Amino acid sequence: MALSIESRDTSTERQAEGWMNDPYEYFGYRNTLIHSLPRAEVEAVQLAAMNLRLEERRPQIQMLEKLADAQGIGRVSSLDAMAPLLMPHDVYKSYPVSLLAKQKFDRLNTWLSRLTRHDPTGVDVSGCDSIDSWLSKLRSETLLDVATSSGSSGTCSFFPKSKRDYRLSMMGLRVQLAQKFGEEPKPGDIEDKIHAIIPLYRDGHASTGAFAKYAGEIFAKGDPDYWHTAFNFKISSDLMWLAARLRAAAAKGDASKVDVPASLLARREEWERTQKDMPAQQLEFVNRMIKRLQGRRVFVMSTSNLLYAAAKRGLEEGLSGVFAPDSVFMGGGGAKGVPLPGDLEDVVCKFFNTKRMISSYGMTEMNSFSVLCDHDRYHVLPWVTVFLLDLDTGLPLPRRATQTGRAAFFDMTQDSTWGGLITGDLVTVNWDQQCECGRTSVALEKKINRVSEIQGGDDKISCAATPQAQAEAMDFLTGLGG
Amino acid sequence: MKPDRPISYAVIRGKVIDTDLIEFGGRGGDITFLAPDPHKIAAQIPLASPRLMEDLYEISFEDILDYLAELGERLDIRKNDYLLAAREYSYATAPTTKPIMDNFFHDMPFMFDKKRIRGMVDFNIGIPYLESWVKKPINGSNVAIRAYGARSLHIVAGNGPVLGALTILRGAVTRGDTIIKVPSNDPFTTGAIARTMVDMAPDHPVTKHLAVAYWRGGDEALESKIYQPHHIEKICAWGGFASVKHVTKYIQPGIELISLDPKRSASIVGGEALQNDQMMQEVANRIATDVATGNQTACAACRMVYVTCGSDEDGIEKLKKLGQLTYDAMLRLPQTLTTKPKRYDPELRRQVDTLRLSDDFYTVIGGRNDEGAVLVSHTPDRVEFWEYLADRTVNLIPVDTIEEVLDVVDAYTQTVGIFPESLREVVRHKGALHGGQRFVSLGYAFNGPGLVGPQDGIEPMRRLVKWIISEEPLPGRKPFWECTDEEIRVVA
Repeated sequence: MALSIESRDTSTERQAEGWMNDPYEYFGYRNTLIHSLPRAEVEAVQLAAMNLRLEERRPQIQMLEKLADAQGIGRVSSLDAMAPLLMPHDVYKSYPVSLLAKQKFDRLNTWLSRLTRHDPTGVDVSGCDSIDSWLSKLRSETLLDVATSSGSSGTCSFFPKSKRDYRLSMMGLRVQLAQKFGEEPKPGDIEDKIHAIIPLYRDGHASTGAFAKYAGEIFAKGDPDYWHTAFNFKISSDLMWLAARLRAAAAKGDASKVDVPASLLARREEWERTQKDMPAQQLEFVNRMIKRLQGRRVFVMSTSNLLYAAAKRGLEEGLSGVFAPDSVFMGGGGAKGVPLPGDLEDVVCKFFNTKRMISSYGMTEMNSFSVLCDHDRYHVLPWVTVFLLDLDTGLPLPRRATQTGRAAFFDMTQDSTWGGLITGDLVTVNWDQQCECGRTSVALEKKINRVSEIQGGDDKISCAATPQAQAEAMDFLTGLGG
Repeated sequence: MKPDRPISYAVIRGKVIDTDLIEFGGRGGDITFLAPDPHKIAAQIPLASPRLMEDLYEISFEDILDYLAELGERLDIRKNDYLLAAREYSYATAPTTKPIMDNFFHDMPFMFDKKRIRGMVDFNIGIPYLESWVKKPINGSNVAIRAYGARSLHIVAGNGPVLGALTILRGAVTRGDTIIKVPSNDPFTTGAIARTMVDMAPDHPVTKHLAVAYWRGGDEALESKIYQPHHIEKICAWGGFASVKHVTKYIQPGIELISLDPKRSASIVGGEALQNDQMMQEVANRIATDVATGNQTACAACRMVYVTCGSDEDGIEKLKKLGQLTYDAMLRLPQTLTTKPKRYDPELRRQVDTLRLSDDFYTVIGGRNDEGAVLVSHTPDRVEFWEYLADRTVNLIPVDTIEEVLDVVDAYTQTVGIFPESLREVVRHKGALHGGQRFVSLGYAFNGPGLVGPQDGIEPMRRLVKWIISEEPLPGRKPFWECTDEEIRVVA
């Protein structure tokens, strides 16, 4: 509800500061408590936090300052009034791509500096000759740990996350996954080392790699005996970018027109070789873990297809229930166009002796993950404000009844960036109904689409090429490439 | 009396069908419309037998021209109630605005001008090939070639109401049997033209060889019945990867796909054009015209302009000036050509507004009122969302060399506008190798031969006919059975 804050409510502000600073510590790492707060109280704190953050970040983050100046917004008096200050996710790939191809990392630093409060421009990047070397340097000399990702257009995005953001993010997963909702945490849920099994890379600037690194800190508490990854090296953001550009070039009819530095293009075979060998090595790794960590409590973060393959093979060999019952298995979507097997959940749960395969909704550009409950809804942490935006007008839809719109979020815990983000996802929320699972937190329906997917397929035919058409062509090529 | 929901009439081989109506459309705020249940008429849509093509050969090319000329007269919007109603309903479904649609409909009769059609056919196919066997001696034989009409199914685009008319024209002059699946963004116009044909000459072979209907693209139960080699020989599909990809599953020996791939267009301007104010103004007028005509819905509409003005500070300043002049020129264009867009793509608006924040790298001119915008890059990079450029939004990009420009001409490129003319030789030659299909003078993308020309590199008219060969030995050619072993040459 619109809540007037003509007179500043200092106790609510103090509460907001606690949430913004380290919400897990503030709530004593208690998952049940976190998801049981009254909605009105949560919204009051969210509103207070928005104004505190706006005041603090406006002089620190130039892009926010420009946006706020252009919109003429100094304070907000309701949650919805914040909508014009949410930034589209594309802003994190809004640099000219030639800067990357020509390795102008100093200019990229300048671009990045407008999006974060941790200014990277003081770092000497003149010796950097790759994305990896650039971001490693920033990681070692600043508070930043910039996250990369390559979308279907082949453009690499750079999200200036801080190390603190990553740690908060991983702690959020641990708190929500290790504890059962409705119960108080057991001492081991917070204190113990838990085996983290990640059938991917040990590190990297791409978020899949970085998550493994921080899982090592937060779950394994830094103990290498508890930190298990299939590939004990960093995933290369350069190679991922190369792969994306190769696909983009092929889709346009000339696979030789790849605008990456020649030194990177020379590594094409290396990438193709590792991609080819990966699945077998990952399966071998999971099977090794199953043997080695029998009966232990583990946290597995994997793609659903890989969990399925390992479980299916295990069942065929007559094995099951290999880990301790309070273990957690988190599967991920996998590549678009690769369908998940119909008996996925059955096979995985049977083999790993678990009630369900956990999934969560989140993204690199946010600290907070929303975990799927037993009633198939993603519950959003109370320090994240959810906005559903009308697809046409971009204005927030009312916070009542059932609404479907473009998801946008304000995450008050964001340490490095602004925290207001407009996504490309289409999400449904029933604002009036509390979820049967007992959580009071805002719940997103399980079915989440890309906005771009639903905008095609309406039988309107045009002779002019659309981005959808090209993305489809690219998915098709990617599919051919296996 | 107008029905409360408009009808997309099926017009099948001289019969207008308006029974068993069911509802279509209505997605994403679109209007709903009614159309005959396609499953009930599926059996009547294809021609029953190729034998029935005979009647098209009992009339001459001149007879066909007479028919079309008379049709053209009857397509005068002032006197045609079917078209009037179609235009009225199309305001809601079309991607463009009323003044532009009015102009399309106003100009429709001119498409049927005899002289124009004769020129179109002679240029694309050659009238003698349609009327007779054209004979030429080669390697001791007389080889005659004739262009026969084919049984074709057309999945037409709906971004302009002229595309249905064009398809009917092409079918008639090639003596084809034409099935048109109308799109949901133009479900009314083609049916209105077909109803006019039924009123005019219900038993004429041209009327009899046209079937127009709406069904939802991808209706597999229906399409698997119609898309069979005993019904059709060619499928001519406009549109996106999904619609073409989806059609390919019906392609088999006996059915040929003519894929009018979706395309986009860009222009190339030599830096010398920015040397003085007068020339810069001319370039701005030319760019604005190619960008804004028809509100940038067509594939031929320019979306990016590469200018070899250099990417240094001086070059960028000139480019910004050109950007402002282009924006001003766009707003001055007459409303028969262009207006404020009907609906500015919200995704694009979001991207343009985001770009405003990156003023180190881009200058955004206009766009605050959804009227269209000029986006000036400060580096040799197109905007990240270049694939979304539409609704009168153009990106001007500074480059240092022509080679950089040619790198972005690709398999999706249709029209390339060129200025000044001195660049034409190099641009069209190298551009052709990279995938460009049509090279025009900047400012004339829509002011040339039009769709009566070869359209683009796809040359649909030549491909809509079946080229048939007839061979006879020239006198003196020795038969194999009279040859010695040495004399026999079975050469491919």
